[in-house]
Amino acid sequence: MSFSVPPAALFIAGAFLVVFLRGMPRSFLLLVLPVLSLLNLLSISDGIHWIIHFMDYKLIFGRVDRLSLAFGYIFTMISFIANLYALRVDNNPEHTAALLYTGSSLGVVFAGDFLTLLIFWEIMSIGAAYFIWARRTTASYAAGMRYLLVHIFGGFCLLCGILMHVHNTGSIEFGYLGLGGLASLLIFIGFGINCAWPGLHTWLTDAYPEATITGTVFLSAFTTKCAVYALARSFPGTEILIWIGAIMTLFPIFFAVIENDLRRVLSYSLINQVGFMVVGIGIGTHLALNGATAHAIADIIFKALLFMAMGAVLHQTGKINATEVGGLHRTMPITCTFCMVGAASISAFPLFSAFATKSLIIEAVAAGHMPIIWFILIFASAGVFHHAGIKIPFFTFFARDSGLRPKEPPLNMMAAMGIAAFLCVFIGVCPGFLYSILPYPVDYQPYTPCHIVAQLQLLFFSALAFTLLILAGIYPPEMRAINLDADWFLRKGANVLVWFITKPVSAVVAKINDAVTDALPKFLLWFGKNPPAALKIGADIIVYNFTDRAEDRQRLEKEKIIYPRDLLYPWSIGAAVSSVLIFLLIYLLVYFLYYKTGAA
Amino acid sequence: MEKEREELMELKHEAVPGFPTVFGITFSVGVLYLILILYLSLK
Repeated sequence: MSFSVPPAALFIAGAFLVVFLRGMPRSFLLLVLPVLSLLNLLSISDGIHWIIHFMDYKLIFGRVDRLSLAFGYIFTMISFIANLYALRVDNNPEHTAALLYTGSSLGVVFAGDFLTLLIFWEIMSIGAAYFIWARRTTASYAAGMRYLLVHIFGGFCLLCGILMHVHNTGSIEFGYLGLGGLASLLIFIGFGINCAWPGLHTWLTDAYPEATITGTVFLSAFTTKCAVYALARSFPGTEILIWIGAIMTLFPIFFAVIENDLRRVLSYSLINQVGFMVVGIGIGTHLALNGATAHAIADIIFKALLFMAMGAVLHQTGKINATEVGGLHRTMPITCTFCMVGAASISAFPLFSAFATKSLIIEAVAAGHMPIIWFILIFASAGVFHHAGIKIPFFTFFARDSGLRPKEPPLNMMAAMGIAAFLCVFIGVCPGFLYSILPYPVDYQPYTPCHIVAQLQLLFFSALAFTLLILAGIYPPEMRAINLDADWFLRKGANVLVWFITKPVSAVVAKINDAVTDALPKFLLWFGKNPPAALKIGADIIVYNFTDRAEDRQRLEKEKIIYPRDLLYPWSIGAAVSSVLIFLLIYLLVYFLYYKTGAA
Repeated sequence: MEKEREELMELKHEAVPGFPTVFGITFSVGVLYLILILYLSLK
């Protein structure tokens, strides 16, 4: 403990340092930082560390327990792999964003209070947005803006929720909340946006495929997993999460099957996998929370591996659509092998990572006697194999011959994929190691004959379904098209919003503008020439509206012509009464507004 | 220079003769099997 520093500090310091480095020193820094961070984490003891006092509150930069450490370990490990993959990127701002993003994610995980959490949460969004913009295309710029807007809204919900929570309880401690009141609901939604809940998920499938090749690897690891961590910390056992998670596992399957952009297929798959974790958090038992944490760790690795494999294809060919690639196993056999390992892992084949992690969640569902959720998760497992396990490697490396003959990617990219592939197999073969770092003691054996047979049955029948769908010509064709899902509402909503702002709102603003800048000064100028006579004319207008006589109207016209000179005839009784009433009304208004409300 | 191939707008999957029938039979058997195991599990 005496030699350790806040987990976020190393990466954030590195983010500023990397700006000044090039070549070997930069590479050295990018690889050494995660190693130092891991050693740092290993040296930290459980408890509360690094407290700063701020305005009667305690900002805690190190709330260390088994849950935060589990996420801390995997974040550090994946940063090493992703940095290795991005080693040849000669764009220092991108490396800065990567380190800032990693550091702020660790900051979120080890935050012991809501204020620290919020600060790192927002830094994370900025780092992530840079990865999207760094691709420097029109589509990526627009997607990055949309990403940032959604996350600013999410951050705003979180901020409002936190302020209300602090106002209600007087505490900023980041711990168990549970759903109860508007404050916790806003925090819940804030976490849910980053978690890509159904309907709030379009930022993910919109932005991730538009990010840089290396940026997508980082993006896949941190944002959604920080949200999973935050939910596991604040809302374990919240029943609505079970259904939210179940829907998350289900709906992306259909979009992934018809999607042409293979990185977008993986983005849908990412939502699907996060859904499993959300179900686990919703159940909230020790087994389920262990499952959610274990599956988050496994997902970070195999999803990074799949994104790295697709990134390698994009890097070497410049193409990523299923309609453009195919038959690449001839010249990229090693990348193909790594991709197959990732595909086997996400599909939960025995001896691969998800077999040992996803089953914890499904077992918890079974133990909770939730047959509908259980069926949904089983169906989703088959769907994952269908779109991520088969579709990704099949259309990229096999299927038709696209005529492309790219070489294998550079050595650093291969090494990064190799390490991730090794970890996928290692977790699958020796799950006990992963189980030992989970939040609660694990009493679960994944390799039982029943589980193995059931899983193989599921996978082989899914493969049979895919094969028959292709051979029968029923499988939906891959098309160069934009598939709209919930973003239809956003796009249509944006059109309505633009119309509303440019038409009615603009008209009202123009009227107000005219009144304030033109009509009001003119009136004051006119009124100031002879206020008593002006008041007389005003009062006469009111009175003559009621009398409606021709001679009165003539008299009023005469008054207007004579104005600003004084009138030569006395006020009528009606005009005098009207003037008194106007003054009385103004007096009452002033009295009510300034004295009554002021006193209250 | 390598001749550039025309990029596909749509990657269709043409049916292999006989396989639509095979799919129909397999699908029907699958549905019956599912009904059977659901019935047995609920019984």
